[in-house]
Amino acid sequence: MEFLNFVILFFTAYLLLRKPEKERLAFRLLIVSVLLMVTLFLIATRTAILPGVNY
Amino acid sequence: MRRELLYAILALAVLAISIVPVGAAVFLLGFVHGDSPCVMCWEQRTGMAIIALIGLFVLRYGPRPKYIGLSVLVGAWGVFMGLRHVGMHAARDVGQGFSIEIFGAHTYTWAFFIFWVCVVTMGGLLLAMKESDLSAGPRPLLALDKLAMGVFLVVIAGNIVQAFASTGPPPYMGQGDPVRFSFQPKNWVWSLEEWAWAPPVTLRGRWSIEKPDAASVSGDPGAGPLADLPVLPVKEKRKLAVPLRGTVTDLAYDAATDRFCLTTQNGIYILDGSLTRVLRYTVVDPGFSIDLGRFAGATFLDSNTVMALGENKSYVVLRESDQADPNRNFRFFLESFDRFDEVSRSRLGTVRSRMMYVMSLAYDRAGNSVYSVTVPNSKFRRLVVSRFDRRDLTLSEEFMPAIAPESGLRFSGERRSLDELYVTGAAIAGGRMVAISAAYSTVLTLELAAHTVVAAHAIPGIQAPVGIAIKGSDLYIINAAGDILVVEHTLGVN
Repeated sequence: MEFLNFVILFFTAYLLLRKPEKERLAFRLLIVSVLLMVTLFLIATRTAILPGVNY
Repeated sequence: MRRELLYAILALAVLAISIVPVGAAVFLLGFVHGDSPCVMCWEQRTGMAIIALIGLFVLRYGPRPKYIGLSVLVGAWGVFMGLRHVGMHAARDVGQGFSIEIFGAHTYTWAFFIFWVCVVTMGGLLLAMKESDLSAGPRPLLALDKLAMGVFLVVIAGNIVQAFASTGPPPYMGQGDPVRFSFQPKNWVWSLEEWAWAPPVTLRGRWSIEKPDAASVSGDPGAGPLADLPVLPVKEKRKLAVPLRGTVTDLAYDAATDRFCLTTQNGIYILDGSLTRVLRYTVVDPGFSIDLGRFAGATFLDSNTVMALGENKSYVVLRESDQADPNRNFRFFLESFDRFDEVSRSRLGTVRSRMMYVMSLAYDRAGNSVYSVTVPNSKFRRLVVSRFDRRDLTLSEEFMPAIAPESGLRFSGERRSLDELYVTGAAIAGGRMVAISAAYSTVLTLELAAHTVVAAHAIPGIQAPVGIAIKGSDLYIINAAGDILVVEHTLGVN
């Protein structure tokens, strides 16, 4: 899934460079990438989302 | 500041984050040294790439508020990811951080720092912005801007290669223990382990542990883990009749002076041998310097020195004094400032007992050591005895006692275990410990050198005991309400 995320980032940067008129699509892809990154991190830490230390 | 200078600085910042943490990670650490990120590192690396990409958005379209806002949000999330990751390793022994160390800090620590710098940078950018910076269409790219974009694309391409090899295409994702990177497909490991069923989503996981409570367990000795326990006959039943601040939390006895030490939540009382008169007392300030919490264990270290232990294994050592300076002692005590001097205050650190509270404290004069015993909780259930050398109160030994074969004790069922016991008081004499368990009203007798339980007895007739003391041939068992049972001691059994 990280592979997919980097593909999204690559394509988004390509849009900025070669097709700047597609700003809306590029920003939406950016949001998708952010949400995917957050989701993957939460999947990996779901049994203890907060740091395991004394508060 | 001139606008183009601002954009040049931003382009350099994008280059810096693309090359240093993201680019060096994939090309140098990954392809050259074979370092594969764990799943959390992958998301942190992705977060940095996202922030670099947002920088490219700004270079292309100007500093639109949604770009800056998203960058701050991603930066804040990245700071949390770094802290969460640091939390896994920060408390280990020196040198036991995880992953490659760069200038003395591990990669997750650098991630935390870099995200923090990104948030600060976005704040600086916002300060430098003007309304005229917001334009409707794309901004013409200068050479530095194009270089930043080109470098970003190359770095992301490298990450695509490494991510494909290390984590695989969907639905595979990163792993907690990644395999060393290789360009050979036969060495690739694609895993679905992170998708595996796990206990419910929780915020604190194993660190969500309830405080101990002697009244929360069943006192029925017939339901305990040890079968057919002999009942200790009660010699005397008494009621404590001295004024106390709070309820009783432990009891200890000093034979040389025929006196008891009794603790309440934060009070320390010296009573006479008949438990009818308070000879001196104080109430300790539990918040000064060390968080003592509630006292749960007490012992005499010598005839004039007492040690009180909190549930969290923090302790205070006091020495009786008739010349105590009340002004000097204001910081240590809440009441009775001139009856004791404070000798020391600190914490006992443990290993096996780390995730469990304690409710007992005992001193072994022969071994010059203090002992505590764990109480189980909903996440960790182990009966662990910890010993600390009196000279430096540092952990010397931790063991999980086993039943001595010659004791004749047996479990009442296949899955029963000593770990079910809830030791709320302990005392030591002759190399043996007597430990009272509020769960199942059981007194254990342990041979400390052999790490074994040599005897066990049932003590019905006292609800939720919190302390036990040895006086002569008797055991004094007390509960929070001040009810006292006097029974014959079990130290000579077996």
